[in-house]
Amino acid sequence: MADKIEWLTSMDEALKRAKAENKYVLLDFFNPN
Amino acid sequence: MDAVTYPDKAVIGFITNHIIPLRVPYDHQPLAQEFKVHWTPTLVSLDLDGKEHHRTLGFLPPEELIPSLMLGIGKTHFDLGQFGEAIEILDKVVTEHARSDAAPQAIFFRGVAGYKHTHDPKNLRLAYDRLAADFPNDEWAKRARPYSLIT
Repeated sequence: MADKIEWLTSMDEALKRAKAENKYVLLDFFNPN
Repeated sequence: MDAVTYPDKAVIGFITNHIIPLRVPYDHQPLAQEFKVHWTPTLVSLDLDGKEHHRTLGFLPPEELIPSLMLGIGKTHFDLGQFGEAIEILDKVVTEHARSDAAPQAIFFRGVAGYKHTHDPKNLRLAYDRLAADFPNDEWAKRARPYSLIT
């Protein structure tokens, strides 16, 4: 099992993978500071 | 979220297996404007076309994030008219995370999805009965109150 969450940073890439894997998307707006 | 929730093994497992995780800074353009984000953490559940179906604002511990994400998946199925799929995951919220903050809303949508799927109004009455028994002061119990008239 993965030892951390492998976050994507591009909406286009996320939707491409979502369609390929038939999974929905979690979009997390975070504060990097 | 980074210190407590996202390193949690159950959270990593759930997200890895069930969701595509996308993360952007709160001021990312055009997404922050498109989704009208003004505070963090804001978590948004999206369908395959990037349309929003569920959102939360503020910290969620691991035991609340997982049922919240499941609720988001269930609401997405519901909005898309996929009532059988919605029932399947909402039932898991109700049974596996019965005391979570997501449970009352999951019970409500489970009842409505059950009605939409079978046209049997008993689903609505069962949702009201469960909410009245387990979460009598929750807003979703109030929203389900008209279903108490179903016999």
